[in-house]
Amino acid sequence: MNTKSLLWLAAGLTLITGCGTNAHYIQTGGTQSVVSVDQINIQDFISAANAATSDLLASGALDRVSNPPAVLAMSRIVNNTSQQIDTDLLTKKIRVALLQSGKAVTTTTFGLGGPEDPLARNIQQQEGKPTRLPDFTLSGKIIETFAKAGNTKQSTYSFQLSLTDQRGLAVWEGDKDITKQGTRSGVGF
Amino acid sequence: MKTKLAALFAAALAVAGCHTNSVNSVENAQKSGQRYMIPDQRVISDISLSHKVSVVGVNTAMTAGNVLKVQVELLNQSRKLQRFAYTFEWFDANGMQINNVTSATIADQIEGRESKFISAVAPNPACTDFRLKLIKVN
Repeated sequence: MNTKSLLWLAAGLTLITGCGTNAHYIQTGGTQSVVSVDQINIQDFISAANAATSDLLASGALDRVSNPPAVLAMSRIVNNTSQQIDTDLLTKKIRVALLQSGKAVTTTTFGLGGPEDPLARNIQQQEGKPTRLPDFTLSGKIIETFAKAGNTKQSTYSFQLSLTDQRGLAVWEGDKDITKQGTRSGVGF
Repeated sequence: MKTKLAALFAAALAVAGCHTNSVNSVENAQKSGQRYMIPDQRVISDISLSHKVSVVGVNTAMTAGNVLKVQVELLNQSRKLQRFAYTFEWFDANGMQINNVTSATIADQIEGRESKFISAVAPNPACTDFRLKLIKVN
């Protein structure tokens, strides 16, 4: 085997062993995240929650209660996409941020479909403590739309949220669209 | 002949591959809104990014919810589209960072010669300071 062949062999082996990375941690939602055209990624939930939280905090809607902080209850978040998603990926981030802001607390003993925390509800009932009705409910919908032109695929995920007060009026509404485009299903950030 | 064909092929590839739309804009010459611009301190480690996503100015305002809102004007001094990501970090009066979804990394893009605004709202009324990070995305 001559020198040239050995060099080619060495280069080929280096290429095979060098490509592909060992498993490693990346920043959740960061610039190294995989972007999938055909599904909602975690960074999409983060971006949508960021937009909704910022807009809600800036609006001052949560300040207009007689007894602050406002009490928020989670209502229906409709998944109008082709994927099975847990909408808590969106709403929990919003709840955490609102709690940290000091402007709203979420009730876990009052909600659509029953209490989120049944044990807390039982304790509340046994203690005879009155349930404070929520000042606001948060509801919404996630919608996906697809488009294709030649080899290029495009998807748009619309995150729509409404904050409704006790009168049944939407005192805040948020709408965030996230559009992704690519020729392959998954690409880098 | 082969050289000419190769050059023609390369030119065709260049035209097809480059996104070189740049932006013209028109605005009110006598603006009625007054921006409260703040002096800023910059650390630039990516000179190429600082040219394509350059910070023109930073202004702040208090929102109806009594939280600080920061708005940053960016300018792409090149003629090419540039994708980037940004993160706003927030600090309270003690200089302690507050981490939640309002400090998320957001993907964005800026067209050639485009001037655009990005903004963020502080996570709570106690936040008095911020830092903006910009990073190039391919």
